[in-house]
Amino acid sequence: MAARRAVALVALLALAAAAPARASNDEGDALYALRQRLKDPNGVLQSWDPTLVNPCTWFHVTCNQASRVERLDLGNSNISGSLGPELGRLVNLKYLELYRNNFDGEIPKELGKLKNLISLDLYANKLTGSIPKSLSKLSSLRFMRLNNNKLTGSIPRELAKLSNLKVIDLSNNDLCGTIPVDGPFSTFPLRSANTALLFSFENNSRLNGPELQGLVAYDSGC
Amino acid sequence: MAIKQNRSPLRVLADLSLFFCILLAPVCSATPATAPATLLQVKSGLTDPEGVLSGWSPETDVCSWHGITCLPSEVGIVTGLNLSGYGLSGVIPPAIGELISIESIDLSSNSLTGAIPAELGMLENLRTLLLFSNSLTGTVPPELGLLKNLEVLRIGDNRLHGEIPPHLGNCTELETLGLAYCELNGTIPAELGNLRRLQRLALDNNTLTGGIPDQLTGCASLRVLSVSDNMLQGNLPSFIGSFSNLQSLNLANNQFSGGIPAEFGNLSSLTYLSLLGNRLTGAIPEELNRLGQLQILDLSMNNISGKLSISTAQLKNLKYLVLSGNILDGEIPEDLCAGDSSSLENLFLSGNNLGGGIEALLNCSALQSIDVSNNSFTGAIPPSIDRLSGLINLGLHNNSFTGVLPPQIGNLSNLEILSLFHNGLTGEIPPEIGRLQKLKLLFLYENQMSGTIPDELTNCTSLEEVDFFGNHFHGHIPERIGNLKNLAVLQLRQNDLSGPIPESLGECRSLQALALADNRLTGTLPESFGQLAELSVVTLYNNSFEGPLPESLFQLKNLTVVNFSHNRFSGSLIPLLGSSSLTVLALTNNSFSGVIPAAVARSRSMVRLQLGGNRLAGAIPAELGNLTHLNMLDLSFNNLSGDIPAELSNCVQLTHLKLDGNNLTGSVPSWLGELRSLGELDLSSNTLTGGIPADLGNCSGLLKLSLSDNHLSGSIPPEIGRLTSLNVLNLNKNSLTGAIPPALRQCNKLYELRLSENALEGPIPPELGQLSELQVILDLSRNRLSGEIPASLGDLVKLERLNLSSNRLDGEIPSSLRQLTSLHLLNLSDNLLSGEVPAGLSSSFPAASFTGNDDLCGDPLPQCSPSSTRRLPRTEVAVIVSGIAVVSAAVCVALMYTMLRVWSNWRAVSVSSSDGEESAHGGRDNKWGAAGAGDGKYWKVGSPVSSTAAEEKHSSGSETSVLHGKLTEASGAAKS
Repeated sequence: MAARRAVALVALLALAAAAPARASNDEGDALYALRQRLKDPNGVLQSWDPTLVNPCTWFHVTCNQASRVERLDLGNSNISGSLGPELGRLVNLKYLELYRNNFDGEIPKELGKLKNLISLDLYANKLTGSIPKSLSKLSSLRFMRLNNNKLTGSIPRELAKLSNLKVIDLSNNDLCGTIPVDGPFSTFPLRSANTALLFSFENNSRLNGPELQGLVAYDSGC
Repeated sequence: MAIKQNRSPLRVLADLSLFFCILLAPVCSATPATAPATLLQVKSGLTDPEGVLSGWSPETDVCSWHGITCLPSEVGIVTGLNLSGYGLSGVIPPAIGELISIESIDLSSNSLTGAIPAELGMLENLRTLLLFSNSLTGTVPPELGLLKNLEVLRIGDNRLHGEIPPHLGNCTELETLGLAYCELNGTIPAELGNLRRLQRLALDNNTLTGGIPDQLTGCASLRVLSVSDNMLQGNLPSFIGSFSNLQSLNLANNQFSGGIPAEFGNLSSLTYLSLLGNRLTGAIPEELNRLGQLQILDLSMNNISGKLSISTAQLKNLKYLVLSGNILDGEIPEDLCAGDSSSLENLFLSGNNLGGGIEALLNCSALQSIDVSNNSFTGAIPPSIDRLSGLINLGLHNNSFTGVLPPQIGNLSNLEILSLFHNGLTGEIPPEIGRLQKLKLLFLYENQMSGTIPDELTNCTSLEEVDFFGNHFHGHIPERIGNLKNLAVLQLRQNDLSGPIPESLGECRSLQALALADNRLTGTLPESFGQLAELSVVTLYNNSFEGPLPESLFQLKNLTVVNFSHNRFSGSLIPLLGSSSLTVLALTNNSFSGVIPAAVARSRSMVRLQLGGNRLAGAIPAELGNLTHLNMLDLSFNNLSGDIPAELSNCVQLTHLKLDGNNLTGSVPSWLGELRSLGELDLSSNTLTGGIPADLGNCSGLLKLSLSDNHLSGSIPPEIGRLTSLNVLNLNKNSLTGAIPPALRQCNKLYELRLSENALEGPIPPELGQLSELQVILDLSRNRLSGEIPASLGDLVKLERLNLSSNRLDGEIPSSLRQLTSLHLLNLSDNLLSGEVPAGLSSSFPAASFTGNDDLCGDPLPQCSPSSTRRLPRTEVAVIVSGIAVVSAAVCVALMYTMLRVWSNWRAVSVSSSDGEESAHGGRDNKWGAAGAGDGKYWKVGSPVSSTAAEEKHSSGSETSVLHGKLTEASGAAKS
């Protein structure tokens, strides 16, 4: 019996070894790793077959001409679970549309690796923790909608480096400190003049108005 | 008889029955005279396939019957019945209870069914009862508790259910109690603690619950205690540590919790200890190191923490140490194998949090198997690993080992499994590996190894599986790869290998899976490929293979998965169609030509058929309709002609149907509405005619629907509004008429909506403002739309591009469009709009966004003034027109010169013009108007977005950053 168990273990070793050999390419692996941590009651991830060459035929995944993942559209899909570091491997991603689900946990700092990201739509989820500083490396980012989550902490000053940022919505969170005034944030005071709701920080009870340089420490109230 | 009906578990009643039985002895007992008759009755209930009972006849002496033992001194006193392993079936008749003199019954290892007769309880002389390994059902009769002389009771491996009767605690002579492998439930009866003589208790593989009762402390004679694979819980009782004769303790696969009692260290006779698969916590007690007789220690799959505190200094007999799947941390202790006395042959530490190096293992000189995978081990593979000369299996995978694979590995001449995958190993494969004549599995995948694959590897003729996936190996596949006659799996995907597939590969007759994808391999496939008769999975995608496929491939009858995508193969597909077991045939982006052979449809299990981007011509074969399991059918970008065959309506499991980029004619079939699994339907760029069938509205799971660039006519059916999952709707470039159905508002997941270049008329339905996820584009340009721009379009806050140009829209531009905060491309040109450009828009978009609207004025267009609406006399008009003509001619020349310059610069800078909306097959998709630089004029000005637009067009490089800097600067200036 004991010997049999040992043999079984060796067989297990062999099996464990063989399984990843059939793995898909890195982006497919990354997405599949994401899927593994998610609950998907509506089965919207059903077509995510890790044995395929690439994830380009998976539903809700759109690839560019070079078969690299460019869009991830899982908005409004009743998905729960946490986002993981694996999302940082989708380096060609332009649109990350995960809004209106039940995602929880923190925003992975690895999202900062998505240099091509144009739109980061994580609004209306249950995300917690702080906004990672690494998001300041998203040099292509135009739209950052993190509103209606449970985010805490201060708005990282580094986000002021996002010179392309056009829409930032951080409303309805539990952020604290002050709103930066540099870079794209400098348009903030224009908000009332122009009806366009470019930057929204509403309903963060511990968030103070725009930082007046030298007057308020940016993390006051945190 | 009273006993016959008595199924009550009450011991009192059972005892009473016995009392009556003794009283009525002449009736109950089988006298010598009745034994043969009873046995014949037993025989009559049995089916005897081997005829072992054929000699049982009244004419012969019962004691001569096969399987019967009698008392030697007296005539006809039957004491033993042994019919083990004769394939007997049928039931054990209750009459067996009349064999009163019998001492031993062995009916084990047959196929007996029915219940264990309660009458066995009357056999007061019975010492051995073996009924194990049958198909007996019912419960364990409590009457067995009457058998006061019973020493061995083994009735396991049956389908017995119910609880273990506590009455068995009365069988005080019991030495062996075997009830394993049944369906018994309930708890272990405390009464078993009365069995002072019990040496072996086996209750494994039932569904027993509760704990190990304290009363079991009375079973002090136990040598074997085995209760594995139940649902027992609670703490491990420390009294087990007092069973001084215990040799084997198996508590595996239960739900025991708490720590391992230190008292187990007192079990000086113990040779086997398995606590595998429980919920044990705490550290490994140091006391276990005192178990001098222990040969096998398995504590795997628990939550045991702390250090690996095992030393074989005293565990001199330990051969197996299995601690996998715990949360042990720290390093392998130096004294794990102190001295030369270690017997340790198998060490399994997989799946812990162990770290540090593995040098300490080099003292374990008897080791045959090492599995330290799935930990955090670091450092190099020690070159002196060859001290472990008996090593057969070495699993170091999923760790952080670095450095090279030492050449000394070649001295491990017994090595069969070498699994090093997913580490940080670098350097080359040492040629010495060729000395490993017994090596079967070589897994080096997901490391950083480089160099060439040494020719010497082909000396490892026992190799069955080779996986080098995801390294940096370059050079050729070894010429003599054909030496590996036992090779079943060859996985070389994702390396930098070049050159052709060696002709000798055809000698690897055992090959089942060949993965050479994602390399730089070239040349044609060798003719010998056709000899790989076992080949099932072959993936060659993303290489530069070329030429026609050898006809010999047709001999590969076992092919199931073929992926040759993204190569330059040409010629006919027929060589790949010898198999009728294909599930995946993916040949996308090659140069295959000819027709799609009907033989494709012989593989009825086909799930994915991807032939896109080839030069296939002719009609789509109707036989494809036989592929009822098909999920994906991609025939896009070929030269296919004819109608879409109606037979495809049988492919009801289709999720992707891509027939775009062909010359298909006829109509869009209405049966598409029956393909309820469809998620993507792309029929664009064909010459389809007729209307859009309303039935498409039934494809409720559809995510992408593209019918663009056809000759479709009629109106857009409102049923399209039922496609509530739709993300992308593209009906561009058709001849669609009528109004845009307001029902489209129900497609509220749309992020891309293109209806341009049709003949749509009527107003823009205000309901489109409800498509709140519209993001990529709303393109209604080049139609005949009239009326005002609905103010509701201002609600599309995610919209990035809006094109309503070249319609007949009138009225003022609604000021609500200023709310389109995400918008960075706006084209309202060439309409009949009037009034002043709203302030928020005028500052953001260039004149080109608004031109061609005669009555539109204000920044960025010319100033609004009363004169702007004044009618001019004809002559003035003529003068102005000719003046404009002259000026524009001059401007045109200048512009063309400038454009030429810009264009040539463009060519220098541009790497890719992709902004990612093209299909994988290349830029045939018409995007937003004229592609390329022309779009730029509608981009939002004076905002960082325009620089991003530039960035999107140019892919990268220093020019981009310069441009980027300039534009950002400009935008800053505009603001200040």
